[in-house]
Amino acid sequence: MSETAAPPPAAKPPLPPGTQVMPLSEALEKLARLEQDGKLAEADDLARRMLAAMPEHPHILHLAGIVSYRLGRLDEAIERMETAQEIAPNVALYPRNMCEVYRGAGRLEEAVKAGRRAVELAPQDSRALFNLALIHYERLELEESVQAAEAAIALDPDYPEAHFEKAEALLLAGRLKEGWESYEWRFKLKQAEGMLPKTDKPQWDGTPLPPGRLLVIGDQGFGDCIQFGRLIPWVASVCPRPVLACSGDLVPILRQLPGIGKIVTRWEDTGEFDAYIPLSGLPRLYGLTTENIPPAGYLAPPEALVRAWGEKLDRLTPRGKKRIGLVWAGRPTHKNDKKRTLKLAQFAPLFARDDVVVLTVQKGDQIAQVGGYYGRAPLVNLGPEISDFIDTMAILKNIDRLVTIDTSVAHVAGAIGAPASLVLPKAPDWRWLLGREDSPWYPSLKLYRQTTAYEWAGVIERVVAEL
Amino acid sequence: MNEFCSCGSGLRAVRCCALDPEALPGEAAVALLDPQGTEATRLFNDKKYAQAEALAQTVLDAAPNNRLALRVLYELRKAQKRGTAAEVLGARLARLPGPAPIRAQANGQFVQYLVAQGRHGEALPFAAAAVKAAPKDANAHHIMAVTLTETNDLLAGERHYRHALQLLGQEDGLVLANLAWNLKLQGRMEEAAALYQRALAGRADNRRAVGGAAQVEFARGNRANALKILDDALASWGDDRSLRLLRAMGDLYTGAPAAALERLGEPEQLLAPELLLRAQAFERLGHYADALEQASMARRVQRERGGLAFDPGPLEDRLARYKAYFIGERTLPLPRAGGAPVQPVFLLGFARAGTGLLEQMLAQLPGVVAGDEAYPVAALASEVARFTGSEAGYPEGLDELLVGDGALIPDQLRALYLTSRARRGLLAGQPGFVTDRAADNIWHLGLIKLLFPEAPIIHVVRHPYDLMISNFVQDRKLEAGAQVGLPALARYFELWSEMLRHYRAQLTLRYLPVRYEEMVADPRGQLARVAAFIGAAGELPSAAVLRANDARLPDPQPAHAALREPVHERGVGRYKAYRAAASDLFDDIRDRLAPWLAEQGYEEGDDV
Repeated sequence: MSETAAPPPAAKPPLPPGTQVMPLSEALEKLARLEQDGKLAEADDLARRMLAAMPEHPHILHLAGIVSYRLGRLDEAIERMETAQEIAPNVALYPRNMCEVYRGAGRLEEAVKAGRRAVELAPQDSRALFNLALIHYERLELEESVQAAEAAIALDPDYPEAHFEKAEALLLAGRLKEGWESYEWRFKLKQAEGMLPKTDKPQWDGTPLPPGRLLVIGDQGFGDCIQFGRLIPWVASVCPRPVLACSGDLVPILRQLPGIGKIVTRWEDTGEFDAYIPLSGLPRLYGLTTENIPPAGYLAPPEALVRAWGEKLDRLTPRGKKRIGLVWAGRPTHKNDKKRTLKLAQFAPLFARDDVVVLTVQKGDQIAQVGGYYGRAPLVNLGPEISDFIDTMAILKNIDRLVTIDTSVAHVAGAIGAPASLVLPKAPDWRWLLGREDSPWYPSLKLYRQTTAYEWAGVIERVVAEL
Repeated sequence: MNEFCSCGSGLRAVRCCALDPEALPGEAAVALLDPQGTEATRLFNDKKYAQAEALAQTVLDAAPNNRLALRVLYELRKAQKRGTAAEVLGARLARLPGPAPIRAQANGQFVQYLVAQGRHGEALPFAAAAVKAAPKDANAHHIMAVTLTETNDLLAGERHYRHALQLLGQEDGLVLANLAWNLKLQGRMEEAAALYQRALAGRADNRRAVGGAAQVEFARGNRANALKILDDALASWGDDRSLRLLRAMGDLYTGAPAAALERLGEPEQLLAPELLLRAQAFERLGHYADALEQASMARRVQRERGGLAFDPGPLEDRLARYKAYFIGERTLPLPRAGGAPVQPVFLLGFARAGTGLLEQMLAQLPGVVAGDEAYPVAALASEVARFTGSEAGYPEGLDELLVGDGALIPDQLRALYLTSRARRGLLAGQPGFVTDRAADNIWHLGLIKLLFPEAPIIHVVRHPYDLMISNFVQDRKLEAGAQVGLPALARYFELWSEMLRHYRAQLTLRYLPVRYEEMVADPRGQLARVAAFIGAAGELPSAAVLRANDARLPDPQPAHAALREPVHERGVGRYKAYRAAASDLFDDIRDRLAPWLAEQGYEEGDDV
């Protein structure tokens, strides 16, 4: 996140005896390089030594703050960076980076002030404007977010992150048709590399193709694929028997959708095709708005499996208690995971209930938190016995309600019509729209939103009170 | 070539531990030296030990497999208390080929040598060799029975005791008393009491039998009778410390701790079990500083005189191996056993957590039988290699379950477990549930998951500081010698808890934590909770009945029922009183336990 700017002039400090002399500019360059290369321990050490020698040098303070931030020492980061800014209040880079650091710390008021100050100091800096767009999104100031993103785009028209941020703000505001257009920039984002096949074939424009000649790509995360998978029958009505390329984990559920020709999990297996389309590109072609979303209930687990899980849960859980499914953590590599993921212990109000049995359908490393659970409600960790999403679906058919964060299991529940309580950060992912307790995508979900950013306490209590 | 063996036998290494079995002289050559061997034996019997030793060594240098000379040297080293050498020579003597009666005798003698040191597990193969060499020898069966009983293979031990009696064709006080002890360990108290009567009728001076009989009476609830037996015995054998200790325990458990202290006398000359009993007596009197002093002294005696030391290495290795093997992805494909006619209920808890009390309460529910520690799952873990034919050991050998008929093995192991419990009489009334509170089940939740995939696991949780102090003061043997001190106990607790945390994260367990503190505050409420969790039907006893905890004892009777008492809360937060007596008591273990306190919802709390 850092960028090396020309350091402001500083007084030359006396050198302690025995100290190896390195020109300041060289040391600053080295510090910035270490931070950018992710050599944080080395960077931290160098920053500490530089600060000992020059404790009031603003650029050292600023860079040292960034290192602290990346090491998770938020308070120290903010203190260092604020000091840098006080010493050198007119360096635009400082508030620009601080905007992000404040955002990471959940201090949104200070973040927006820093973002505005950065733009004020450097009105031609597209990154400063982009940062401001991000923070406006976090504060649900969507119009301002769109404006800041557009200002950044005006300065740098080929700025994918700004376009994508604009898309997210428009979509969250419910302006879907406009949003889908900007959303097309997602494949130019750095993290999108490898999501699409290397091909000279065009992206599908929505017109009919012969059977089996369209390649549909399950891009984005599992949740997106499940959400947009509902459009596959429409695709098949225009281009019969399309080939679907997706992750192996999704095969068991997406194969349930009617009209697919074949499903592949490797690019080499796609065969010849005339055009391709990512799943996330379908809403734009379909002209999807909140009024014409194809209904949920388009996925269903096999009945025999539902029965088998039902019998198993009868054996594993005490009778006479409400069965509450639970997912508390998402994939840690997700860009917004910090905002959406909780600790298991944060569901304490649920665990204090005498009338429930908690069935965790969590997968992944965070499942380890179950090992430290000592709540009152019995908790059965089903994760280790879940082989795929079909198992998850079958379990969801056998419980009273799922309580979940914004992760793929929420989409699974929604797609099969299982009742679920979805807890959302104050600034949620665009698909959950603004302010509403329901979702036009998934009528069986009830949404519980943070009223204060990064504060879950009240949210969980509301969920539990309504179980 | 000429250096002496490091075992201390006095033989050259190449004639002792570095012996090449292929180079041993043949039977005829050995026989040529028998006159010298006989002479060495004569010298030994005539107490001319130096000459006997020199001659035996000379003979053995020529023929290391000369039985007569080997026997002489073995007896000498044993008498000289040169343990390593005696063991090496004894084991070699036992393994020598020869006529069956002689082999039986050699093995029997070596078994007795090991048994005298409490090394019953090591004695097992030699006891088995003695029985094989002399299957009609009552003594061989008797010693086999002793080793099996002391290694907790109680049913097999009982069989050999009964066979020995049959071969003897008459009442034998010693064998009868030992059989009675075996039955007592099985919880078959009525039979044990009757046998003790027969044993003492034939041999009234068997003090161990008297002590055993008193313990059985105590366990049956005939406490006054037990005390009378001990009082009568002490009138004759006033200096018998074992009987005195038992009598002092009687004092303690009948509410007379001051009498126990008086009976045991001053601590200077006492052994560790006596000191620990004094510690408990002081605790009952509320003299916590004295209790700590006594317990610390006992642990010092165990360390300095008994060589007791905490060795967590094997447990750490086991933890690492089990954690590496039993991960969700690897365990999920392994085949599981099918449904069982009776549902085991595993009662899990760190030592002194209160699983015994929970088992006593559960046994009062219709259809629930107290299985105590009968045939633990650990025994099945050691059967895995035999069933799978794998050389990979446990748990890695479980991979064989994925191949061919390996899928049948979980059912076979489960059947073995249930059959063993049935043979102990636990399933006679066709119960719906049988509890299992084996202490080492904690390590085997992975195997339990394969054999009983949906068995309830009830974890009795207790404040870790109370666990530490209770184990420190009680005379109880723990894995790895962890009872030796508080830091060792804390590390053991950590390993134990890490194992549980791992299994809970990696396996779908039907798990319920129950707090000891809540169990003693509201026995009926907690029993109802557990009964609902396991699915036990039927009416619960009243709160008053549960609190009195004197319902009719089940048969077989779990060991812990012998010392049962009304449910009380004086053990809750007892650590605070100890800490008030010694403010730095937990300084060495605080950091280690702090994360577990937080995780389990406990606080360090203020002194009382």
